[in-house]
Amino acid sequence: MALSIGIVGAGTMGAGIAHIAALNKCTVSLYDINEEVIRRSVERINFEMKRSVDKNKISDDDMKQALTRIKKRTNLNDLDTCDIIIEAVLEDIRVKKDLFKKLDQIAHHTAILATNTSSLSVTSIASATKKPERVVGMHFFNPVHLMKLVEVVKGARTSPETITQTIAIAEKLGKKTIVTKDTPGFVVNRVARPFYTEALKILSENVTTVEEIDRIVKKSGGFKMGPFELMDMIGNDVNFSVTESMFQQFFHDPRFQPSQIQQQLVEAGMLGKKTKQGFYNYEEK
Amino acid sequence: MKKQSKTEKIKVKKVSDTKPKTQNPKLKPVELKQLVCLLGDESLVKEYSAAFQEKGIAVQELKNLASLKTSAKKITAAFELTLDSTEQKKKNLEALNEVLPDHVPIISTSITETILSQSHQSKHKHRFIGIAAFPTLLSNSLIELAPSIHTSKEIADTVKALFDSIKKETAMVQDGVGMVMPRILCQIINEALFTVQNDVATPKEIDDAMKYGTNYPHGPIAWGEMIGFANVVAVLDALYHSHHEERYKVAPVLRQMAIAGVFWKVKD
Repeated sequence: MALSIGIVGAGTMGAGIAHIAALNKCTVSLYDINEEVIRRSVERINFEMKRSVDKNKISDDDMKQALTRIKKRTNLNDLDTCDIIIEAVLEDIRVKKDLFKKLDQIAHHTAILATNTSSLSVTSIASATKKPERVVGMHFFNPVHLMKLVEVVKGARTSPETITQTIAIAEKLGKKTIVTKDTPGFVVNRVARPFYTEALKILSENVTTVEEIDRIVKKSGGFKMGPFELMDMIGNDVNFSVTESMFQQFFHDPRFQPSQIQQQLVEAGMLGKKTKQGFYNYEEK
Repeated sequence: MKKQSKTEKIKVKKVSDTKPKTQNPKLKPVELKQLVCLLGDESLVKEYSAAFQEKGIAVQELKNLASLKTSAKKITAAFELTLDSTEQKKKNLEALNEVLPDHVPIISTSITETILSQSHQSKHKHRFIGIAAFPTLLSNSLIELAPSIHTSKEIADTVKALFDSIKKETAMVQDGVGMVMPRILCQIINEALFTVQNDVATPKEIDDAMKYGTNYPHGPIAWGEMIGFANVVAVLDALYHSHHEERYKVAPVLRQMAIAGVFWKVKD
């Protein structure tokens, strides 16, 4: 029988997970409180899949089959038969805890409850349920259909069986997995932090300019993107809040100190590409 | 306000225009056949030597300082590639400075000590320029250089032209410990090892995570091993001392690995 995956929250990440799950022959129940959000989400999946067809990565038939596997759900109770429910709602601990409390009652007793959180404690989210051993972190990266990794996060009370099953599910979705403890930023967001914070520190010391640091990091270090281009792409608001949250969670360890330069960009509304201004100017000439 | 700081930025970056006093105008370095002399850390000397020879530039790898005197007049550029600021590096720089004609640039690794500090006792401060010669970076297309406030424009231009001739771009940055790429890279490697230290994931998982989760060219721990963990620690310690900031404290496991020279085995 096909693996049945419930996804709660049809935003960018939810849509991305639905996309790969459907392509990998899983039955997908895509839930959102807002029907319009689901409709747009499926449209987006359609668009991305078409691009893969154009690039000959999947066949037209693969796409058609995959799209039939996605069920639009606006009633959370419809996720009661899922083997796993993956939550991808906004990064707010109260919202997530409320949701997990409900999912705990709705889900089948053997189902895994996974959160796609990137910055909150899986342990804390799990504490809202009666079966914290079934709760796990499944941290996907954006864009989900292109990034190969899933961080499988082991909360304080997550059982070894849950970890094993979650790894198997992630592999079924075509992903590489690593298992990480439930500590701030897990692995990727934590180890990548100096890529941004040290570049900002260098800028604050006026060692050289934004453009030059990006050029050096790409051409001397071999990185695909420079730190400032990347921060503009992620959004300075998002990047700043992740750093700030990690700084708090590490009890003000100076390794994670946020930058005043970036804070000022956020205050100025210069969030990067999405506002056409950030470290660079993206206004059309 | 913003504009003002921008002009300041440019001012600081400009290298000094003072010409070396004793330069013979007939002896233009461009007319000479290039001979690049190299000394310092063996692996860096080998890497740089190969890069020059591949593009047809003659190279002299100096095993000892005695052999320097015989070829001194033919040398057009000298590299001192000892990463750490050791007594030997000091001796090497003094010898080069004494023997080489004073229009010949001395290009010295300035990652753990600024080029200003390396050259401030020399009579020929103008000829010293710092370089981010760091293991694993030369195969890429850009070289980071750091002129000191004394470095002359002629010297900076000569060195830039030398790298142009082997098809490397250059970037001039301010003379500061760690420069740009080694500083960011060593901090990433350090955080990866704090993550090992805290037993968040295994070293292999951490490397995989960074390769597949963020498209890094190498996993940071494997990269640290290629660079040499002792070199990574040398850069971080230098940053710690130059800044007096805890953000540059070294992960204890990284320091152990630097001493042991091998990877600290953790349960797999």
